[in-house]
Amino acid sequence: MENQDTELIIKNLRKSFGKNKVLNGINFKLTEGERVVILGPSGSGKSTFLRCINWMEEPTAGEMYFDGELVTEKNIRRIRRNIGMVFQHFNLIANMTVMENLLLAPLKLKLMKRNEAEKRAKDLLRHIGLLNKADAYPASLSGGQKQRVAIIRAMMLSPEVLLFDEPTSALDPESIGDVLSLIRELAERGMTIMIVTHEMSFAKEIATRIVFIDKGRIIEEGTPKEFFDHPKTERVKEFLEKVL
Amino acid sequence: MSDFFSKVVELFSTQEYIDALLHGFLLTIQISYFAILIGIFLGTIIALVDTAKPSKWLVVPKFICQIYTTIIRGTPMALQLFIMFFVIFAIKGFPSIITAIIAFGLNSAAYSAEVIRGGILSVDPGQTEAGLALGLSRRTIFFKIVAPQAIKNIIPAMGNEIITVIKETAIVSMVGMYDLNMAAKDIGSGQNMASYIVPMFVAALFYLVTIYLITFIVKRVEKSLRKSDLKAEE
Repeated sequence: MENQDTELIIKNLRKSFGKNKVLNGINFKLTEGERVVILGPSGSGKSTFLRCINWMEEPTAGEMYFDGELVTEKNIRRIRRNIGMVFQHFNLIANMTVMENLLLAPLKLKLMKRNEAEKRAKDLLRHIGLLNKADAYPASLSGGQKQRVAIIRAMMLSPEVLLFDEPTSALDPESIGDVLSLIRELAERGMTIMIVTHEMSFAKEIATRIVFIDKGRIIEEGTPKEFFDHPKTERVKEFLEKVL
Repeated sequence: MSDFFSKVVELFSTQEYIDALLHGFLLTIQISYFAILIGIFLGTIIALVDTAKPSKWLVVPKFICQIYTTIIRGTPMALQLFIMFFVIFAIKGFPSIITAIIAFGLNSAAYSAEVIRGGILSVDPGQTEAGLALGLSRRTIFFKIVAPQAIKNIIPAMGNEIITVIKETAIVSMVGMYDLNMAAKDIGSGQNMASYIVPMFVAALFYLVTIYLITFIVKRVEKSLRKSDLKAEE
């Protein structure tokens, strides 16, 4: 499309749930290596926006291009392999062990051979220090452990973009640090990331761009420095006063 | 009291009475068994249609399933049995056992559908989302993720439904079929044992033992399905 480093282009994205209009025309572009943090008051539509990107919520209107290709109902399943997602409530598959969770997509989608996938899974588990939990069921893990497994599960397919939907909101304070440092590490390795979070200091530290959403629209965006130190709109000033 | 026990002895030492009871018991089991199979099969289909993601192809099937369960659950089983016997299958020479199996099967399907539907809906939607986000097909998600988790919630309620069907088949005596319930009555009066309490007491015992056995099996299955959870708590 316009330039080859552009991963995602979103034009006039709208989403309604019945009569409730949650997203009212979002235009957005994501470039490789960017780390976008989406902020906004609760109910602003920031999670819905993130969930529309991999069609967890099917957009009501608008166009999306991923790697220059128009996203449709037909190709979304293939495109999802390139968009990893990490959920607020982890969503590890409850009837599968940690290892089975990691192998599920690569093997079912025939993207890797079993021994190759197992090796990668073990490497990733070792990396996060949970290799000894490979055969454990998710129910026996702590929240922080679950979320770190969920992150490496998303990494198994080597996606181009990782979406994080409030990844630390359901965690106890002690686990938050572990999860954030894993995300930080992915960021340092150049992963393209989009995060919805309430962790302001983390947002400031990790973001290359902050996007502020209110009432289903992007009303301000910029670098963390611009956003936090010199907000342009009254709405953002008001928001920052409350949260900082 | 001694009369009661002498009647019990009489019942179990008279070949005719034993034959009558076993004959009745066999019919009860036959009707229940096939009705439950039909119920689970049809009930699963109804539940799948009902819980499937809405699409234009499913508008009519979803509507039909709803009407079906509403009618079946909203009318008495005895009336459904009568309609089957005296209206739909009022064909001379048509085997009454088939009519009864169909009547109870269609009835059980509506209840089984609710049980299965409830089991599917009790699985956290986040589980399906995780599968979708990984690019898995809805089919894979259903068979690998949703179904195995739903079954754990379905088994106990399904055990209940099986028990209900077995007991409910007793109303086939109302259309003159010779099931366990009818056998008890027949031994008491038709065959002149001159006691209702003893054959009915024994028939009750037959039902009770059968149902106890089923409860026991269901508990066993439940327990083995919960193994993955137990392992998790180590």
